[in-house]
Amino acid sequence: MRSTSAPSLVLDRVSAGYGGAAVIEDVSFSVRSGEVACVVGPNGAGKSTLLRAITRDAVLISGRILLAGEDISETAGNDLVRRGLAWVPQLDDVFPILTVRENLELGGYSLDRRRMRARVEEVVAIFPLLSRLLGRVAGQLSGGERKLLAIGRALMPGPSAVLLDEPTAGLSPEMTQLVLNTHVEELRQSGVAVLLVEQRALEAIAVSSEVHVMVDGRLRVSKQARLLTDGEELARLFLGE
Amino acid sequence: MSAATQLYLATVSVYICVNVIASWALDIQFGVTGVLNFSFVVFQAAGAYTAAILSLGPSSSSGGFQRYVGGWRLPFPVPIIGAMVVGAVLAGVVGLVSLRRLRSDYQAMVMLVVSVIATIVAESQTGLVNGVAGISLVANPMVSLIHATRQTQIWIFVLFCVFCMALVGVVMYATVYSPFGRVLRAVRENDRAIEALGRNANRHRMQAFVIGGALAGLSGALLVEFIGAWAPNGWFYPETFVFFTAVIVGGRGSLTGVAVGAALVGVGVQQAVEYLPITLNPSVIASLEWIITGILTLVFLWTRPQGLLPERRRRFPTPWRSDAPELAERSAATKGDERG
Amino acid sequence: MGVLMSAIGFGIVTASILAVSSVGFTLQFSVTNVFNLSFGSVMTGTGFIAYALNTSGVSIWASMAIGALCGGVISVALNWLIFGRFIRHGISRFGMVIVTIATGLICDNTIQAFVGPTFYAYNAQPGKAFNLAGMLLTGQELIIIVIAAVMMTATHVGLKSTRLGAAMRGLSVNASLARACGVPTRRVVAVAWFASGVMAGIGSVALFLDTSTFAATTGSQFLIMVIAAAVLGGVGSAEGAVVGALVVGLATEITAAYWNPELKDVVAFVVLILVLLVRPQGMFSQLSSERTAVG
Ligand SMILES: Nc1ncnc2c1ncn2[C@@H]1O[C@H](COP(=O)(O)OP(=O)(O)OP(=O)(O)O)[C@@H](O)[C@H]1O
Ligand SMILES: [Mg+2]
Repeated sequence: MRSTSAPSLVLDRVSAGYGGAAVIEDVSFSVRSGEVACVVGPNGAGKSTLLRAITRDAVLISGRILLAGEDISETAGNDLVRRGLAWVPQLDDVFPILTVRENLELGGYSLDRRRMRARVEEVVAIFPLLSRLLGRVAGQLSGGERKLLAIGRALMPGPSAVLLDEPTAGLSPEMTQLVLNTHVEELRQSGVAVLLVEQRALEAIAVSSEVHVMVDGRLRVSKQARLLTDGEELARLFLGE
Repeated sequence: MSAATQLYLATVSVYICVNVIASWALDIQFGVTGVLNFSFVVFQAAGAYTAAILSLGPSSSSGGFQRYVGGWRLPFPVPIIGAMVVGAVLAGVVGLVSLRRLRSDYQAMVMLVVSVIATIVAESQTGLVNGVAGISLVANPMVSLIHATRQTQIWIFVLFCVFCMALVGVVMYATVYSPFGRVLRAVRENDRAIEALGRNANRHRMQAFVIGGALAGLSGALLVEFIGAWAPNGWFYPETFVFFTAVIVGGRGSLTGVAVGAALVGVGVQQAVEYLPITLNPSVIASLEWIITGILTLVFLWTRPQGLLPERRRRFPTPWRSDAPELAERSAATKGDERG
Repeated sequence: MGVLMSAIGFGIVTASILAVSSVGFTLQFSVTNVFNLSFGSVMTGTGFIAYALNTSGVSIWASMAIGALCGGVISVALNWLIFGRFIRHGISRFGMVIVTIATGLICDNTIQAFVGPTFYAYNAQPGKAFNLAGMLLTGQELIIIVIAAVMMTATHVGLKSTRLGAAMRGLSVNASLARACGVPTRRVVAVAWFASGVMAGIGSVALFLDTSTFAATTGSQFLIMVIAAAVLGGVGSAEGAVVGALVVGLATEITAAYWNPELKDVVAFVVLILVLLVRPQGMFSQLSSERTAVG
């Protein structure tokens, strides 16, 4: 049934960089609605750059990016959210000088005022931990609290595709479980296409349906997750064989 | 040649020498080492006042119509050397206060404010350097040194200026293109990396700052001995900007380039405006010079940030472009921005 | 006591003028991260626009309002024509200082070429003086204080409780995330420049009324005081700028009353240098100093 749903986010031969030479080259894959795809790979492989190419924070050199069938390669960065794309960056994922509530509200900037208010309540209901933090300044949150806020903020507009850049970095094993097994899973079940970048490859693969291994800016392997549960094979792929 | 033409040519020559020395002085601070010294002209002024005070004698001797501290009548090269020493010492003091690891725009601010404070103090403490009126009657040292016609004395002074410029040039080339110069450039490009190698970036900044201060003092001394007078409105803080423009137009870090820039901007712009085929009132002429200087700066920063004759060692990215990650972030940020 | 109270009175007037100007300066800085050294020229420009209106019969307060709007437009235009382009061209912070200074010089001297080196004065009556607890303030000065108070309140409310305000504050700390939230960054940046120009305009007319005469260089001379107040409070913090303005305003006027009027600016500048060296983030700023410029 899953395989019949149309691809939501499609990358077609994407090369991107930061004004100089390409950092990632010729990357193609797609993520369907209600599916989690994860990108794993060593540090500096270009995983964050891949996400930034989608969000227009890196320079798209060539290739196309489609969201729900529409080409968004030329869409302005601040219009992507209206097309249904949400992004949780690896670092600087919240506005530290704003309160938690203001962070959420700014996340819903593309909504109208009434909808935004209502949506804050809905997001807080998804992340009950945030409810008692609403008045706190985001810069004072703990790492885990901050990450939940960052994800909550990204969910504010009700996106159809979510990009998560190492959402579990620095989190305790329990929080990691909460984020991957609960929140990412809930997102998937609600029909969102999730593109997950992770260092914790095994945990990520456990919640994903497709796995892409990126080494040196290129996709080395793309496989269905259930065919790739063997740690040893993964290690070989990381080393680039 | 008529006396007037000769004086005109001599004046232009002295101004070129003085501006070249001063621009080199700023170049070693800002071009080579990366210190945004927006109080540069203060060091030139300090040199000029020192040379004046060391050659005029006590202020009572000239009938007391001008007041200043000290006052000695010292023989020829001493006032000039004194000016260099004062320029260097003052640079040391200002450097101690301002050369910290600070955002470059904040550091520029500190320097700018130092410049404004210096002007206010010089103007309001009239006993210091004769306030707003400034010090005048400084004599060309060749007058008492050489028995000749006035014309010859002037030309000998011009030769002396050329000699000073050549000497400074030799020293500058030896410094800037030496291993020491490479360290200074490295401080400009990446002070953290320099410190990781166990060197003290601030000490190197200070060295460049003091060398520049001494040379600025020299340029002030030569100028005051030629034109004979020095007053606060000649070294108001925007004057520093002329030297910045010279460095930018010529090519930051490139000595030959900066010399060309100094001649073009410091003297050329002024001459060009004076010879405009329309009659303008003098204050408009002055404004026009500033406008042209400002526009030159913007045009060069936009189209040719490396200057007319770029720095030879091109291992570094263009200094005006931000370091790679910063640039990338921004260009990416812009690309991704909404249109219009 | 009499001297002190009247110095405090003058200090509050100076602080009001400074507060409006430095909040404008700091607001634009916090959003765009451009340390705008041409702000003084915008002040001068609007001051002269108000002068042109005022001498052709418009009341001084109406001239102030129209001048302020023109200031906003000029400020947006400068960003559109020069600053924004240089930022997108990839200029370093280093180069940006020089760009704003060059722009300021060009503007100041263009004004100077038209108005000449003479001094001007508005056609306005200071009004009768009121004695408030020993502070002698003219009606004009009271109006200036009220305008400043209203502007400050409006800025505070605007930043703290409107969507645009939240967008501005968000943009000031993380432009790329703000964009990902759907904030039209260029438009918000333009709004910041506009607000800064408006405040420059109000500040300049108030300043020129207060100093009673002005010339083409008055704005740029005042700029360093503006920056002193902004930096003291922490560049980028509007509340900080208000506190900074009070400190600088009172310190300068008390110096003038008790010590030497010629040195009153020096006090402000020494304070500025000390703050820059000892605590460059100022007293209130929450901005990091490692941000990049936004155009
Ligand atoms: N803003 C930038 N400007 C220039 N180069 C960059 C920038 N960001 C990253 N890079 C470079 O691009 C390459 C890929 O970086 P990227 O952040 O995409 O790696 P990553 O796979 O996300 O690594 P990690 O697992 O450590 O987060 C690296 O060599 C990095 O140095
Ligand atoms: Mg990464």
